[in-house]
Amino acid sequence: MRSLLAGALLACTALAGSSPPAAAQSDGDIFPFETRRFDLDNGLRTYLIHAGSPGMLAYVSVVRTGAREEVEEGVTGFAHFFEHMMFRGTKKYPNYDGVTESFGANRNANTSQDRTFYYLVAGSEYLERIVDLESDRFRNLSYAEPAFRTEAGAVLGEYQNNAYSAFSVLDRAVREKVFTTHTYRHQVIGFEPDVRDMPNQYRYSLDFFRRFYRPENVVLLVVGDFDFDQAESLIRAYYGGWEPGYVPPAVPVEPEQTEPRRDAVTYPGRTLPMVTLNWMAPAWSATDRQAVALELLGGIAFGPNSPIYRRLVVQERRLQALQAGFALSRDPDFVQVLAMVTDPADVQAIEAELLAEVERYQTELVDERTLADTRSAARYRFLMGLEAHLNVANAVSRAVVNTGALEPINDYYRTLRSITPEDLRRAAERILTERNRTIVTLVQEGGS
Amino acid sequence: MSRLHNLPAWLVPLTGAALLVSAFQVPADAPTSPDSLLSAATGPALAAAVGPRPGGLPDPPDPPGTILLAEPGSPFVAFNIWIRAGSQNDPEGKEGLAALTAALLSDGSTTHDPYQAIVEKLYPMAAGYGASVDKEMTVFTGTVHIDNLERYYELFRNALLSPAFDEADFDRVKQQTLNFLERGRRYNRDEELSRELLYWMAYRGTPYEHPEEGFVRSVRAITLDDVRAFYDDFYVRNNLVVGVGGGFPVGFGERVRADFDTRPAGEVPVLPAPDPVRPDRVKILIVEKETDATAISMGFPTDLYRGHPDFWAMKLVNSWFGEHRSSFSHLYQVIRERRGMNYGDYSYIEPFPNAFATQNRPVNASRRSNLFEIWIRPIALTEPGNLHPRTLFATRAALRELDRLVERGLPEDQIERTRRFLNDFSLNYGSTVARRLAYRVDDAFFGLGADGSGSGEGGYLTSIRPGLAALDKAAVDTAIRRHLASEGLYLVFITADAQALKALLLSGEETRIDYAGEQPAEVLAEDDEIAAWPIPVVADDIVVLQISEVFEGR
Repeated sequence: MRSLLAGALLACTALAGSSPPAAAQSDGDIFPFETRRFDLDNGLRTYLIHAGSPGMLAYVSVVRTGAREEVEEGVTGFAHFFEHMMFRGTKKYPNYDGVTESFGANRNANTSQDRTFYYLVAGSEYLERIVDLESDRFRNLSYAEPAFRTEAGAVLGEYQNNAYSAFSVLDRAVREKVFTTHTYRHQVIGFEPDVRDMPNQYRYSLDFFRRFYRPENVVLLVVGDFDFDQAESLIRAYYGGWEPGYVPPAVPVEPEQTEPRRDAVTYPGRTLPMVTLNWMAPAWSATDRQAVALELLGGIAFGPNSPIYRRLVVQERRLQALQAGFALSRDPDFVQVLAMVTDPADVQAIEAELLAEVERYQTELVDERTLADTRSAARYRFLMGLEAHLNVANAVSRAVVNTGALEPINDYYRTLRSITPEDLRRAAERILTERNRTIVTLVQEGGS
Repeated sequence: MSRLHNLPAWLVPLTGAALLVSAFQVPADAPTSPDSLLSAATGPALAAAVGPRPGGLPDPPDPPGTILLAEPGSPFVAFNIWIRAGSQNDPEGKEGLAALTAALLSDGSTTHDPYQAIVEKLYPMAAGYGASVDKEMTVFTGTVHIDNLERYYELFRNALLSPAFDEADFDRVKQQTLNFLERGRRYNRDEELSRELLYWMAYRGTPYEHPEEGFVRSVRAITLDDVRAFYDDFYVRNNLVVGVGGGFPVGFGERVRADFDTRPAGEVPVLPAPDPVRPDRVKILIVEKETDATAISMGFPTDLYRGHPDFWAMKLVNSWFGEHRSSFSHLYQVIRERRGMNYGDYSYIEPFPNAFATQNRPVNASRRSNLFEIWIRPIALTEPGNLHPRTLFATRAALRELDRLVERGLPEDQIERTRRFLNDFSLNYGSTVARRLAYRVDDAFFGLGADGSGSGEGGYLTSIRPGLAALDKAAVDTAIRRHLASEGLYLVFITADAQALKALLLSGEETRIDYAGEQPAEVLAEDDEIAAWPIPVVADDIVVLQISEVFEGR
């Protein structure tokens, strides 16, 4: 640990004593690193993982709460806002920023639909300080109302950073059309009136902390170069007294869609038209063949290597861009094909072409080679993401967020390897249906 | 910097749907967002200013031909091919040519494979390659799993050495660039646009003036023959550096160099470093568009560069004043933490392209001339009519802090605190082999390293600790006085109702703000001073542009 700088900068990514992600295994577990899991009596789960650069570690707290849990009226965006408040200190450490600065930590957090992700990357010699500091804020966060109201202003600023892009306007429109009930209806940042009302929600914030920041709802991922025994005993000591009491909120279930929907929005700035096809899809699963097949199908049918991409984007250039967003979520969510259309007069024809392509995948089988290449791509994408400690935590976080455990990541890639062309066809037939579909288009105000 | 890549929406919490531009780019490698898809200004010339002329790095040293960063046992191999040309080499009227050339090579057919065959071959490896073009340098980069090294290298090499210059590829790439220039850059992300406009103001009349992607009119004028000519002139063997890092086999680096030595040699003119003028007073650009929030950037040229005797002192000063995305830095504390005015407030002594999209320090944006830059993220309206007062309050707060820094210097304890932070924090800079390799390339640009070879020893990453350790208060304060001043600077606002903001600026009126919550008496007392802080500007030094005119032509 002495020559920390030289070590961290010069050494290779694989650590002595841990297995490097050197080979893409054809069967068995895809996750290549030495891992230890332990659960505390209060429900807190921890994974210790040897990976990354010598002398460094990433300390990640995954709170399995995001915009999904914002079930009450008027408080959309709160999970994200609360993420900001977690940096406001405790009685023991009133200046969280100052403490993390003192050991040069690279630390931040981000919030998505299904989770809030807190990370801190620092030298391994600071492990005990980190465990102390992080456990303390998760257990004893404390802030006064004026600080709360001030921070709400920063969130409004954050809303403004991105609110006016055409993509953002379109995304809001899609969500409001696809969902009638479920909390995925709002963006993670929240509805603007709720964001503007945040300063008035101090009492609600205290309640939010009490409800969601509980050990049963948190998973720790410690990734890096450190001693497992020492880390485990520190985590047991510092988090052992954290009182359980998590009660999952009643997230409203989205009623089954019974007929196709459509919306058209205008954009006050300038943009090429965009067409989106959206379908309600099942929740993420490591073992459900249909769910895994659907995630693969998005890339196969509409990714850069797909026949329609080749024709519409590359050869005919009728599209500026074509993208499939088929990653599934903790609850049933929509999957999306998004096309940016070169000529505004071509929007309807493009829509028809995309729909015809969907139909083709419902009836024809994907060839074996494309499927094999897709499996290979998925595997290497995962392995290529395992280079640095924080990336390793990110790579496994889907499984952790959706299931509360890391192990399903191995199950997921096992299922993925077993997907057949018929699985893909069936996923298209059952999920990419007309009654399940919502089409939303966006054009600039006043036409082209 | 031209980086036409982006992440899929589901990887970017808090942003909407995204688009994919470069089919050869692996999404996970590209930490940017949808806006980078969509990326120029003209208008009345800004009056020439008179002031001290910053020096900048005198001459670019000759770099080594090959930079090898062997990390035996690593399952990854990273490539970084550095072409010693950037947007400064764009011919007049063809601004954007360097970027379009790189985009065509990295996203087009080769004489061996049509475009789609390349996509098909890269697909099972989940690997890609991309190009990034800055003012003075172009790099082609990619990382691959060692299992796929040979198959990948063949494609990567062909992209650079055997481009097909296919007409259809050219039309596609040009159309995507124009879409970015005409729409995306102007309408998607004002906070990044304000930073581009600051560079445009500060470098008027120099080869750094135009954005890397060019202007709308200049990109329209670029032909495929222009691209071929640029390739022939600059992609020559004596003007390119081969960088390979990671777990590559013995002899592989030499093989790559030998392949690239098949390019003919050429005579490449060395451009003098830009000689921007440091303004002697405040000069303002207001871009008008419909919005509820104002993007703000300000700054001025300095003579700092990596290797300058004051570089480490100013790195420390800047870290204390406005370290990127750090909540303990001073500006952030004053504007966001204490007052909750916006999302963040930072400062820079080197370029930081796409700052909105990444926490990682940029690589391969090395320049001989740099700005000191303050970036105030959008200030939102909170009540009807208060957008401009809030905008000017935040601007005044930043100017006041800069003034105090110059007046007072940094106290010993703050120097020590910041040194300690940077000692540890800088361990994050080289987190991947691609980044470690990229830092070596930047070292070679600046002639850093014992023998100027970019060998690591004496390079940027290994010099941070000793560089900071050698500093004392006298050195820090001298550097502050030498490089910073608060009287003369360029200031950019992107906001609604430009004339009203102009009138408010010229009136010199105080601009107080209200708070959603109670504030301590000391904050309110400080507010009195901030609200009245002078922004000395005259009407002739305020230029107003419409958003639709921005970067249309020179």
